[in-house]
Amino acid sequence: MTAPYLKMVAIRKSFPGVKALKGVSFEAYPGEALAMIGANGAGKSTLMNILGGVIQADEGEIELGGQKTPIHSPAEATQLGISFVHQELALLPTMSILDNMLITSFPSRNGFIDYGRGEVLCREALAKVGYEFNLHTQVRDLSPGNQQIIEIARTLLGKSRIVIFDEPTSSLTSREKEQLFTIIRFMKSEGTTIIYITHLLDEIFTICERAVILRNGEKVAQSMVSDLTRDEIVEKMIGSQEVVGYFQHHVRTMGPVLLSVENLHREGYLDRINFSIHRGEVVGLWGLLGSGRTELFRAMTGLDAITGGKILIDMGHGLHPIKPRSAKLPVGLVTEDRRTDGLLLPMSIRNNLSLANLRNFISRLPPFIARKREEAAAREYVQKMNIKSTSIEQRVWSLATDDSSAFPHG
Amino acid sequence: MRTRGSFQNDVATTDGAGVKFRRDMRQTVFSLIPVGMLLLILVVLSAVVPYFLSINNFVSILMQCAPLGLMAIGMTVVFITGGMDMSVPSLMSFSAVIGAIFMRSGGSPVLACVIMILVALAGGCLNGFAVAYLRMIPFVVTLSTMAVFSGASIWVTNGMSVTGIPRGFITTVMHDIWIFPAPVLVLVVFAIVVHLFMTRSLYGRWLYAVGINIRAAHVSRVPTQKVLFGSYVFSGLAAGLAAIVTTAWLGTAGGTIGAESVVLDVMSSAILGGVSIYGGAGTALGAFVGSIFVKLISNTLNFLQASYYMTLVVKGIVVVAFVALDARFRRR
Repeated sequence: MTAPYLKMVAIRKSFPGVKALKGVSFEAYPGEALAMIGANGAGKSTLMNILGGVIQADEGEIELGGQKTPIHSPAEATQLGISFVHQELALLPTMSILDNMLITSFPSRNGFIDYGRGEVLCREALAKVGYEFNLHTQVRDLSPGNQQIIEIARTLLGKSRIVIFDEPTSSLTSREKEQLFTIIRFMKSEGTTIIYITHLLDEIFTICERAVILRNGEKVAQSMVSDLTRDEIVEKMIGSQEVVGYFQHHVRTMGPVLLSVENLHREGYLDRINFSIHRGEVVGLWGLLGSGRTELFRAMTGLDAITGGKILIDMGHGLHPIKPRSAKLPVGLVTEDRRTDGLLLPMSIRNNLSLANLRNFISRLPPFIARKREEAAAREYVQKMNIKSTSIEQRVWSLATDDSSAFPHG
Repeated sequence: MRTRGSFQNDVATTDGAGVKFRRDMRQTVFSLIPVGMLLLILVVLSAVVPYFLSINNFVSILMQCAPLGLMAIGMTVVFITGGMDMSVPSLMSFSAVIGAIFMRSGGSPVLACVIMILVALAGGCLNGFAVAYLRMIPFVVTLSTMAVFSGASIWVTNGMSVTGIPRGFITTVMHDIWIFPAPVLVLVVFAIVVHLFMTRSLYGRWLYAVGINIRAAHVSRVPTQKVLFGSYVFSGLAAGLAAIVTTAWLGTAGGTIGAESVVLDVMSSAILGGVSIYGGAGTALGAFVGSIFVKLISNTLNFLQASYYMTLVVKGIVVVAFVALDARFRRR
């Protein structure tokens, strides 16, 4: 291999209460796909956001093509040929393919958008990856896979030298995934540097040459993918020697059915879902992004109205049907993105813990919140869940990510 | 002087010492600015205005604050949910006009008070329904209903003031208790009750939760639509109380008592009282103090013989300055 195109040297970044990156260095070569691996909160996205100019590092340097290059804004990053393909599709659904592809840099003539040239450029970019679309179709009418093709083709317009893929397969079917890999191989052959963020080990072995593994804001390994085994990767990600036991299948004796869902239906989202959960069981729910995973949970916990079906629960006297609205009593929910829809960041630990069950803390007269009881319950939970904090009045935004994840809604 | 939202004064403690210190400083600076300004105004006024420090003047300023303070408390509750209610003053004038017409045609004053409250509550329900259940943007809804209510009150009165309010109504409402006219005590009691309610009750906690993050509140089983709806109904109630007080105080009612400049005054009171227009912070007592602040600014400018338009310029600048401070120091 030749000289590395990208070098990030001793990058440090802290957020209030968290050291997100503790001096991470790595380099990436032209024409390679570098896997960026790490558990949630390991610092992958922070590092990539620094490269993309979204946030600034506290310390450290970025070198591009051997030259020190500070990056101050996303616009600057784009100009330097760094582009991002996001996990959640970052397109404007009601605008056309053409507008979506050109939006980062509309070609202009005399101050007006030169759509003629734009169309030619877009066709060329799409042709490079082997696609052809009617450029005037609205993006929301495309499948998630095709939407992603648009996002990727957009990076080809700007002659990107570095393309960052942030868990790009989370919304793709396996056929779409194959198409994506073909495109990535093509981009590598053009000499583009690919940084590929993922949790999925299969994909690393399929598409990446080298891997950087992060844990708690530190680089714990950097090596050729061919020199790594799956177990090594997982062990380094999690940092535990008991990793093999961690993934062993436990054979448990199943208890009686605790919760049963029959023909759960929500027009346009859920179509007659049936399953049951036994006491003491951990049940995985698998599906692509947009397949209805979140919708199922939201319907089960009464957050969204349902149009048909039954939820039965055993509260100690056998299975009885309940209204989905009252499922809130015995079902807890921890949301996917707790910082946006799970927690009230400026509120204290005490207020966050009690919010979902505030009714239980109301005294008779006057009907105020019983502060003492609320405090006692908060203290109990902080201790039980081992939340690192100085007091129950500490505000949630200053907690570390893994500690803020500990808040159940139930 | 300045009362901060109950969720804003818990200071984070595990940050690095520097960060903690900075955040403490920010909060302190932010809360000291209005206190400093208030003190400055008081010093200037007591130096240049004869009898400024007299009890009479003090009572008179509080009386001027009564309708303003009541409406500011109503608007504060809506601001806390992250919404806004521009229609409060026009709703106040509309219900005042309806009540006054009822009394002019011989209706009983007690019933007139009930009518004013009910009309205002109905207006609040309209706003609340549109925002909470039809999911409309609060600014658009209340700007439109503001036009509807003020248009309606001028329409039913043909643009004239409604006179012929019974003396009994006026003397009862304006009745002095010790040295204070009843409306002043109503304002103080209202501020304290609402303050306790917002900091201690279930609904109060829900209000702040909705304002901070409505999605998280929803997941935490807060009945967000009811909370939003309730906040507008509450500001309707505040408008109704203000209508009774204003009608008695002026001895008349008309479409102009809820003019656009009053909207600015009410909003300024809430904002100077420490509400965050981003939602999630603010208190009723703060709004009360804010209304005194606004009245003092008006009185100072009056005394300095500034024109009405000059006054508008100054008030507008003060509001923008406070919103800027809010954005700079409080919002993350």
